Formats: sequence, C-alpha cells, structure tokens
Amino acid sequence: MIVIHPERCSGCERCQVYCSFFHTGSVGRSRSRVKVVKIEDIGIDYPVICRQCKERYCTRCPESAIEVGPLGGIVVSPTLCTACGICETLCPIGAIELYNDIPYVCDLCGGDPRCVAQCNMGAIEYVPEETETVSLSEFKKQSKDLSPEKKRVRFTLDRTRHLREAWKASVGE
Amino acid sequence: MLYGYGGHILRVDLGRGSAVREKSDPAYLQKAIGGRGLNSLRLHDELPRDVDPLSPENMLLIGVGPLTGSLLSSSAYMTISGKSPMTGILGDSAAGGFFGPELKQAGYDQLVIKGRSETPCYLVIADDRVEIRDASHLWGTDLWQATSAIRKELGDNAFQVAAIGPAGENLVKFATVACNYNRMFGRTGMGCLFGSKNLKAVAVRGTNPVTMADPLAFLELARELDRRILEHPEWRKRHDLGSPLLMNALNGIGILPTNHFQKGVCDYVDKVSGETLAEKWKVKNKSCFNCNIHCSRYYVTRELEAEGPEFETLCSYTSRIGVDDLPFALRIAGFLNRMGMDSLSSGETIGWAMECFQRGLLGPEDVDGLDFTWGNKDTVEKILGMIVRREGIGDAFAEGTRSLARRFGRGTGKWALHVKGLDVICGDPRGIKAFGLTYAIASRGADHLRAEPFFELTERYDEAERRWGIRDIADRLSNNGKAVLVEHTERQALLTDCMTMCKNIGLSMDVLDFEFAARLLQAGTGLNFTAERMNNSLRGIIDADRRLNIDLGIDSSMDTLPYRFTHEPLQEGPSKDQVVPVDKMVKEYYELRGWGPDGTPPAK
Repeated sequence: MIVIHPERCSGCERCQVYCSFFHTGSVGRSRSRVKVVKIEDIGIDYPVICRQCKERYCTRCPESAIEVGPLGGIVVSPTLCTACGICETLCPIGAIELYNDIPYVCDLCGGDPRCVAQCNMGAIEYVPEETETVSLSEFKKQSKDLSPEKKRVRFTLDRTRHLREAWKASVGE
Repeated sequence: MLYGYGGHILRVDLGRGSAVREKSDPAYLQKAIGGRGLNSLRLHDELPRDVDPLSPENMLLIGVGPLTGSLLSSSAYMTISGKSPMTGILGDSAAGGFFGPELKQAGYDQLVIKGRSETPCYLVIADDRVEIRDASHLWGTDLWQATSAIRKELGDNAFQVAAIGPAGENLVKFATVACNYNRMFGRTGMGCLFGSKNLKAVAVRGTNPVTMADPLAFLELARELDRRILEHPEWRKRHDLGSPLLMNALNGIGILPTNHFQKGVCDYVDKVSGETLAEKWKVKNKSCFNCNIHCSRYYVTRELEAEGPEFETLCSYTSRIGVDDLPFALRIAGFLNRMGMDSLSSGETIGWAMECFQRGLLGPEDVDGLDFTWGNKDTVEKILGMIVRREGIGDAFAEGTRSLARRFGRGTGKWALHVKGLDVICGDPRGIKAFGLTYAIASRGADHLRAEPFFELTERYDEAERRWGIRDIADRLSNNGKAVLVEHTERQALLTDCMTMCKNIGLSMDVLDFEFAARLLQAGTGLNFTAERMNNSLRGIIDADRRLNIDLGIDSSMDTLPYRFTHEPLQEGPSKDQVVPVDKMVKEYYELRGWGPDGTPPAK
C-alpha cells in the first residue's frame, strides 16, 4: 500500500502531476488517481489515495467491473464499467472518482508508483507487503452523501489531527 | 488544437454583469508568450492612456502562460496587471501557489476584467461557466475568512481563490491580492484595483488537463530542469530556509537595510535571521504547485500560525525599521496577510517616518501624536491598523511614501526611498551595482525582480568572461559591464514571468537559458519558438512596456535612484564607501536596449 507521511508533505502536488501524466499523457487533477487536499489556514497538505482498505467498498460494483489485482491495488475493467458511479459513492474517502465517465483510482503503476518516485519530501512511500491493514468502516459513517472532494477533506482532517496536536505541543519548548 | 495554452480569453465587465469567452489568437500568443508578457501587450494595445487607475475603465488582467500547470517545475505563477493605483504607470505583480494552474485547467490564458460592480461581488469561474456573485456579506472580512467562506459557499475546497482583504476594500494604494491564503501579489497595489471594481475575489475551478504538443520530449526537458535544480549547490539552503536566508546573506556583504538604509550591517541579525526562524518555529516545508525545492515554511508560535514570511516582509519589519524581535515581525506578517496589505510599501512609509523623526523633519504633532522612534513596535502596530482603516493620519500613509512626502514637504522627500512611486526593496544597491541599475530602470518602479541580476553575487569570474567577455560582471562592487548583465537578465526575468516559472529558480539559480527555454516552449506548444524569435518577442514586450510608461508620464529623469544611494557612501562593513553611479549605467543600458539617449524606444 502507499503510506502517507503528512508531517513531511509540502503540498506541492508533484505526486498528482506525475500520476496524471504517466497514466494519460496530460496534467490535471481530474485525471490523477492521487489528489492532494490543501487546508491552508491550518497548514495541512495531504495526498488522498486508495488505502487498499479491508472493506474494499468499491469492489461491490454492480457490474463486477472492479476487482483487487495481484499487487493489492484496484483494477477497473473498462469493458464492464458502465460509469454508473456507484464506486465513487461507496468509497468513504474520495479515492475513486469519475472524470469523463472513467473511474480514476490508484493502480500502483504495476509496482513502481510514479507518485512515490517524484516525491523528494519522503511524504509518500510504497510498502508492498502492507495491504488491507486499514479499516475505513468507522470513517465510512461520517462520509455519507458527501461529494468526493468533501470526503477527501474530511479524511484529511481525520488523519492529520495528531499532527496538529504535535505542532501545538512543540510550541514554547 | 492549441497545445499548452488554455485557448481562451475571458472578458468580464463587472458594470454590465457580462462575461465573454473568446478564442485566443495563436499569433498574438506567440508574440506575447504568456503570463506577464501577455498582460503587458494587452495593456499596451488596449488600455486607454488617460484613465484614472481607480475608474471602471481601468483594466485588471490575470495572465498565465503556455507552460503554467505543466510538468515544468514551479510552473505555478501568474501575473496580475493593470494601471497601478500606486504609481500611475504600468502595474503588475506575480505570485505562485495554485491559482494559475487552476485557471489554465479551466481553459484560459487570460482574464480581462473591466467595469465596476454596483455592489461588492466575486467572480466564479468553473471551466466555461462564469458567474458574478454577490459579496456584500464578505465585505469587511479578512483575506483568510473570505477565502474560506467562498470555498464553503461553493461547496468545493478545490476551488482556488484570489481575494483581497479590508485594505483592498478601503483602497489602500498598496493593497495586495492573495491566493492560497498566503501567496501575495504584493507590489503596485493590485488589491486596490480589485477594491476599486468592488471585486472581493475571483474563484476558479478547472477540470481540463494541460496537454503538451510533444509530451515525451517535454518530459525529458522537465527532467533535465529538475536535475539542474536538485543538483544546484544552493538547493539545500533554499529548501531549509527559503528567502529569509537573505537576512544573513545580505548582512554578510554589508547590504542588509538597517534603520532605513542608514547602515548595511545589522548587529542583531542573528535574532531575526532565517536560521532562527527555521530553528525555533518552522514545523514543515510548504510549496507552490509542482516545485521540488519547497522553499516556503509553515510556522507555529504561541500566538499564531501561518505560512512564510518571505525575506522582504521579514526585513521590512525587523532591521529596516530597527526592530530586533522576530515574533513581532511574524505577528505583523500575519496581520498584513489577513488585511491584504503589502509589507514592503507599508514598511517604507514607516521607515521614512522614523528617519524624518530622527532628523527632526517630522514630530508627533504631524502624525496624530504617534512616536516614530526607531524600533517603536507600539507605533508600528497602531499605524498599520490606521492605514488599513484609513483612519486619521493613516489615510495619508495609505497613499504611499511618495505621496506622503509630497504632502509634508520640508525636505522629507529626500528620504522617501522610491523610484517612480514604488518603494525600494530590501537590498542596499550600493553594494550590488547591477541591482541598483535594475531599480532605476525597472518598468514598475524600484524593483529587483525585473532583472534580478543575481549573477553579480556569484563570483563566477570565468563564467562571466565566457558569457559576456567581461570578468567584472561577477564582481558585485564593480560598475563595469553591469548594463550588459541587466540588459540580458531583464529578458531572462521576463521570459521566466512569461513561462510563469518562479524567478528564484529560473533566474536566481540560473537554470533557465534561452536555448533551453525555446526547446521547452516548442515541445509544449508545437509552435515554432526559437531562441532568436523568443528574444525578439521579449525585446518587443520590454519596448511596449516602455512606450506605455512614456504615455503615462515617465521620462528619463525618473530612471534614477534616491539621493541616499547615489550620494551617501555606506559607512561600514563589506560595502563600505560605496555609492551607485547610476546615471552612467542608465545611459549604457539605453544604448544596449536600442533606445535613444532620452530613453525612448524606436517607434513600433
């Protein structure tokens, strides 16, 4: 799985830029499978990307177009997918999202994730042996009926609470 | 298909409430390249010369370039331009962040905004959908509150917002615009221009990917540039400290403005340095779009947290006005960012007042009882609040230093450190001669970024010999060949602005030469950019800026420096005994530029 270290993330979006480029030949957030959330007034930057969660919500695709690949990443069948958007609704964190009728979700670049290669802050790390270790079932409850962007923001706030606390604790030392 | 470019110009009339999306003209784009160049040509071609800067007829331009939002490292910038409310001549200001790339993804090369809304408004652009929304409820909010509120109203945190604060609303002449809360478009009062149009903010969201003509060739070039940046000897320091590294660096060569440039060496620099900031309060690095230096910093103190500050702000509110208290400077930086007010110009009004107090030219009776003694922090806080609200004497300060000195007269003008109405930046030109020339000739007033002739600080003598045949160019104290350097780097600076790259990288780190840039532009756009054609465009834009400025009242007598820098030698430190022989350098510069002895470019 791809592990995120938000305390090192500067929010430059290079992961997003190169993800989009290597999959589509162009650069844009809508075609990227990792989307950086920036909440500037509290200094938080967080790349939201598939957590390979225990629950695998998106695989409950009515067309059986989504399955777990050999590396543990999500594989979408372009022939079976009808762009119904249920995967987008099911994902609690906004890590799969449709753009022009194509679901964009991390496929681990065949085991050599480009986002990891481009991050010179060490904020994104690939740990292949770790998969299905994260449960999103608790988080899922608070993400109902939200847009993918709103889910990402909520997930970001949830995952960076400890960082904010650490910063505050460091002041005045 | 037009590659690289957004492909459209959006013309908005806030008075009529209309917006028209035009196709960009490829021939015009190639001539203008993009970003600042595109804005400059548009102003040159369309600005009615006699408009009052605050009138509805003045143009407000937001321009990006063909490589904005691309694989190119730090292709994050955009330029906001118009007739400056502060100087009355060409005004523009560039900043990075994430707004420029978003505007590109929405399909635009440029926004052209005219008119004045009856009531406060903000402009929302989501791809080809444009809406002018009411902002009455946001009027009076600070820049951060406004940005957050707009994202909330639009229900999408991914909207990029460029907004003003109360200073812009109150038409403070040096009000700023900011995107991403902390990315300031600081100089020449573009925030005042927003305010004059009753425009609180522009919000943009784009979903169209940026596509290059030859993606693989472009990738290789982008990688080459990445290598140049990552292997640069200054990478580590720039990454760790960002621009505040200049506090110690400039002090070390005796040009750190101290007590309003009375000295170039500051005894307490360690208390207010970039190193101290990083050590005590930095919690992590921050970055603009697609940058691999990440020079910005997030800091948390007991009182506040924010991104920044950059060197000019730090110096303006420490050594320049005699303050040795870094947390105080952070507090002021936070205040200015939220109010949307420029640190350099506000700082110069204060530095000027302190100098005039010291000389007995002004007293408390002139300034509502305030005591402008060096380093009086209480006065600094009071006057800044009064400027934002245009309250009492703050109303006069809000007009800028040139105007203030004219108001008081009595010889105070001698100590107003500006060129063409724009205040001098934090770097004493007496110890960096090419910078001195740059302040004198820069088309927006006393500014370093118009040429940023950083090369003179590098002591790369052999490289100077190789490039220009003049070794002295690498000697900061020499006047020899500095016009040659400035003529060259002025084009390089403009190119960097047109490509919407960070000038710290493209220019100061010297990683972007003309040949390489032409290859990037060619791979990006598919248009026939060559180094020669590109340079012709750049010269054309510089001439156009000059013609516009002449129309707006500039003449060669204004291509000079304040008295202090030409007549008062520095008294101590590594730049001791230096002044800037500016007139001679300006003449050389005119000649190299192909301008007449009166600084007039050839007719178009």
